Parts: sequence; structure tokens; C-alpha cells
Amino acid sequence: MTPRWRVWLIGMLAIAVIIAGIYFKTLKKRLRQATQVPTVSEEQVRRELTQAAPATASGPLTKAKLFWSSGAGDGSLMPVTVELPLSNDPTLRAKQVLNTLLAGPVDAELRTLPPDAVLLALYMLPDGTAIADFSEAMATAIPSGIESEQMAVDSISKTLEANVPQVRWLKILIHGQEVDTLAGHLDLTRTFLVNAKASPMMAVAAPASDSAKPTAAGDAAASGKAGATSLGQQKPSATSQKLTPATPTGKLTQPVKKP
Amino acid sequence: MLDPAHGGTDLGARGTGGIRESEIVLQFAAQVRTALESEGFQVMQTRQANENPSFDDRSAIANAQRGAVFVSLHIGSTGLPGTVRVYVMSDLPASNDATGLIPWDRAQAPFLPLSRRFGDIVQGFLSQRFKGSPSTAQAAAVRQLRTTAAPAIAVEVSSVSVEDRNTLDRMAPGVADAIARGSSAFRPLYVVAAVNPGDRP
Repeated sequence: MTPRWRVWLIGMLAIAVIIAGIYFKTLKKRLRQATQVPTVSEEQVRRELTQAAPATASGPLTKAKLFWSSGAGDGSLMPVTVELPLSNDPTLRAKQVLNTLLAGPVDAELRTLPPDAVLLALYMLPDGTAIADFSEAMATAIPSGIESEQMAVDSISKTLEANVPQVRWLKILIHGQEVDTLAGHLDLTRTFLVNAKASPMMAVAAPASDSAKPTAAGDAAASGKAGATSLGQQKPSATSQKLTPATPTGKLTQPVKKP
Repeated sequence: MLDPAHGGTDLGARGTGGIRESEIVLQFAAQVRTALESEGFQVMQTRQANENPSFDDRSAIANAQRGAVFVSLHIGSTGLPGTVRVYVMSDLPASNDATGLIPWDRAQAPFLPLSRRFGDIVQGFLSQRFKGSPSTAQAAAVRQLRTTAAPAIAVEVSSVSVEDRNTLDRMAPGVADAIARGSSAFRPLYVVAAVNPGDRP
């Protein structure tokens, strides 16, 4: 090989090394960008899909009051005002505010519900009972404990009370089923009082059991302190007189027809 | 009646440092038991080891005792570390059954006023010992309390989120002492109908 050809060869090799170096940098950059793409969980994808419908239910922008943790560490909640295009339909409206509640506040530390939880369905009964059906993540991903579970239910209850005047009671299902507890502590076989002064879609007769008068709890619920009140009230039912122990928790039955 | 919550496959709340509620409440129960026995109480537990009786099984043990009080022990996931909260069952519709039988699914209903007094007394002792704790008991729909036919409270210690398990271990004597003193203070207020002379709470 002549010296001239050797120079050419070395030159070509040098150019190839430079091109390879530049290409390697580009590859590295692309790889870094690819790893920065946020991973989206299956639950999050489902939420986006399920939220699409109610989010499009447009209405005038309304100031909705959502209850997240106050951050005081004592189980108290704090109302946060958010502008939402709330529907006039109570079912859609309840879905909208609960989906916004699930999406969480700006400060993730103030969440009351698990980030992966999804509102699968929401039904409104004529007597003002809202039946909220959440995905399993609501029960499995919530921090276990009386205080944390109470905060979760109370944030749902207070958010409904503040934004959907037709809701009187709240019943929570997990993946379509009635469950014993939320995460080992809080009783989900019962119905929670949301708003004693609610104006349901259909008038109902006075409760058969006067011990469940919801007035006191309803007044206290308006105070904004978590866990003080609304959780405890149970929807009165003239038919739930079980006299034997170890009765399995019943499936959700048809609402009691009141005269 | 002491009820160390959870157990078996149900670990309860879990901290990042490997702290398990089901294990710690069992240790708390041992100390509470000693403190109560030193006050002259006869003590039973819903579980002695790593087993997990159902809610109804635990209530059934308590409901078979005359003049018992029920204390369910928990370690929470949240709350200010170093604080302790007492919970009593929130309102339940009372039975209007003509037979006079207490419906199992709301056995706690007739005992709510007594549970409230018992809870407030114990919480008072706890708040003196653990700063930042509430001064009175709070109401919550605690499943275990609903089917218990006795003055019943749930005591929740904060929390499994502490980095060092010794932090919780150091709280156990204070919690045990407060429950024992609270039970002693509550004893004269707890009048059980048709109690035999030899019976004691």
C-alpha cells in the first residue's frame, strides 16, 4: 500500500469514528427521552377512559368544593374550591366531583383517596341514596387504619354534600360488591348520611326508626371537621332486623319501598 | 376483653421499615393485660397468637361475657407519630324489636352512651400522656365495634410510619397504663343489670 492510500484509509477511518461518535450521542439522547416517558398504570388508563364521558358533560363553570386533607395530621379535611363545568344532572354531577376528588389535589400529600382508585359507576336512587362503585384499588391501596379510612369516606361524603344537593345517603361498593370494610377497619356494610336536608328526586316518608334521626349529624357535618359526624349515621331500614349471629353481610338489595 | 386487631394473613397496616400492625398490637396487648390485671381485672383476649378470628368470632367471645368491656388495639398508617386516638362506634339505629333481643348486626347500639363515656375517660388519660392526642374520643364506623354487645372502644396508635420500631415499643407502657386507669375509673359507672354478687367487670 502506497503512503498516499494509507493516508486516505486513515482519513476515512477517522471520519467513520467521528460519525459513529455523533450517532452514538443521538442514540443516547433518544434512549434517555424514552426512559423519561411516564409509566401509566392500567388503573390510570381505565380512569382516563371512564372519566372521558362525564368530563364532556358541559355546563357553565361552577365553583365546586372538594374536601382533601388539611395536612394537619389529625384527620381533618379542608375544602378546596375548583371551577368545573358541572352538569345539572345529579348523577353526572356526582361523577364529576368524585372523579375530580380522585384525581387529587395539587399537593399529593393531601390526597385522601388512592391515586389508582377509579370510580367505576355511580347510581342515584330516588330516595337520594348515591351508590358509588369504586375499583379494588380503593380498598387495596388506601393506607390501612381507622383514621385514614375514615378520612377517605368523609372526603367523599362531604364533597357530595357540598356539590350535589340531591344526595342524602352514600353507599360504597368495591368492584360492584358490598364489602365488610374499606381496608380492615371502616364498616362499609352501612349507608352513610351525607346531607339530612337533601332534596331527593322523590320524596320519602319519615324513617321508621327514630334513633337514626340524621339532623344532628347533618348539622355537624357542615362544620368541616373530618370524622366527627356523617360517617356514623346509618340509613334507617325497617327490614334489617337480624336476630342471629354471624349473619353474612347481605348483598345490596332493592331500596325499601316506603309508603 | 382485649382485641389485638388483624393477625394471620391479615397483617394490618405496614410501615416501610417492615413494621406490621398485627405483630405490634399483640405486644401491646400483653402489656395492657398486665396493667389491667394489676388493677384487679380479669382479662381475656380475642387472639393469643398469630391467628385471625373473624369480626363476628371476636365479638362472639366478648358477647359471651357478662359485664365485660371491649378494647380493640390498632396501629394506624397515618396521624401524628406519638399520638393515640380512641374511637367509639358512631350512631346506630336502636332495635325496635318487640322480643327484646338485640340484633347481632347492631349489638353495639344499646351500649353507645356507655362506650362514649368509657372512650372519653381513656382518651383523657392518653392525652395527658401523649401530647397532641385528642382530648375526647371520636366517633367512627369501626366494623369490629358494631357487633360487640358491651362498652367498646378502639385505640389507634400512630403510626407504622415511624422509622424505628422502638418508638412504638416505648409507647406501649403509657398506652397500657392509660387503658388500665381508664377502665378503673369507668368501673363504678358501668352498672350491669342482674349481676351476680361474685361477678366483676
